Amino acid sequence: MYFNLLQLKETLEEANILICFNGPFSQSIIEELGNAVRRYLNNDEMESALLMDVFAVYIEQTQNIRNYARRRAALGDPHPAYEMATILIGRDDERYIVASGNTVHVDDAEALAVSIDLLNGMDRQALRARFKEQLRKPVSDESGRGAGLGLIEIARKTSAPIQHKIHPISEQHVFFQIIAAI
Amino acid sequence: MNNILLAATKSSPEVNFDADSGILRLCGESYPENSFDFYAPLLSWLQEFLDQSSLPVRLVLQLSYINTGTVKCLLELFDQLEEAADHGRDVRISWHYDPDNERALETGEEFAEDLKVPFELIGEKY
Repeated sequence: MYFNLLQLKETLEEANILICFNGPFSQSIIEELGNAVRRYLNNDEMESALLMDVFAVYIEQTQNIRNYARRRAALGDPHPAYEMATILIGRDDERYIVASGNTVHVDDAEALAVSIDLLNGMDRQALRARFKEQLRKPVSDESGRGAGLGLIEIARKTSAPIQHKIHPISEQHVFFQIIAAI
Repeated sequence: MNNILLAATKSSPEVNFDADSGILRLCGESYPENSFDFYAPLLSWLQEFLDQSSLPVRLVLQLSYINTGTVKCLLELFDQLEEAADHGRDVRISWHYDPDNERALETGEEFAEDLKVPFELIGEKY
């Protein structure tokens, strides 16, 4: 088995990826990567509000994935694939990009796509109202509905619609990716 | 009753809930893996404190970043305080933010919009 890591590094750098992670991840990895992101962006001399927005979108995306794994386990469907994530933080010409992908049960994928599309169609004010409404839903309700607040928060911080794509991987599972530009 | 004293971690704030003075302080950043697990003991401590004592309550928040799970938990703290205030308790909340941290100010402002108890926004460099 041979890997050309130089090629991988060059591919990532050409795509302006600052940080990437792929594998089983945990809260402590979320924290460490998050701190690396902040240190890096601090050196980039970006304004603090933008830095905090990138960090917030990163935290909500990654914690959504962790919560999803926990929720599937609580539903009696634990799976090692749910514990994995692919996370990229990079930039294009004008914006910072936070992207993440994870394995999702086919039954959940369409609903997730629909809720993202719904949020993409809302303006700032509607998102703010939606956030407050979701805050008032009981906790038990949320465990069934999933990533409500996190996605709204991401939509509130992004400067373009949240892109999403469903990649089929098996009868049971899809790989769900989202890309947020801040 | 016992006080709660917790050191800050990377993703959870320093906690100092002092039953003798009625001053409850949260300081740092808050994005724990499970916000509800982290805040549940603080919520039950507060309920017990409100039931057992009649001291004025001062909730002092100096939180530079909070995730959405934390927002939800803080609202539950505020709900408890508001109910106590409705029953005549002297309750005040202060939200301390670094003026360089615009987002921390906005978070405080959003909380302030929906609250009936006195909620003071205090900008100070830290």
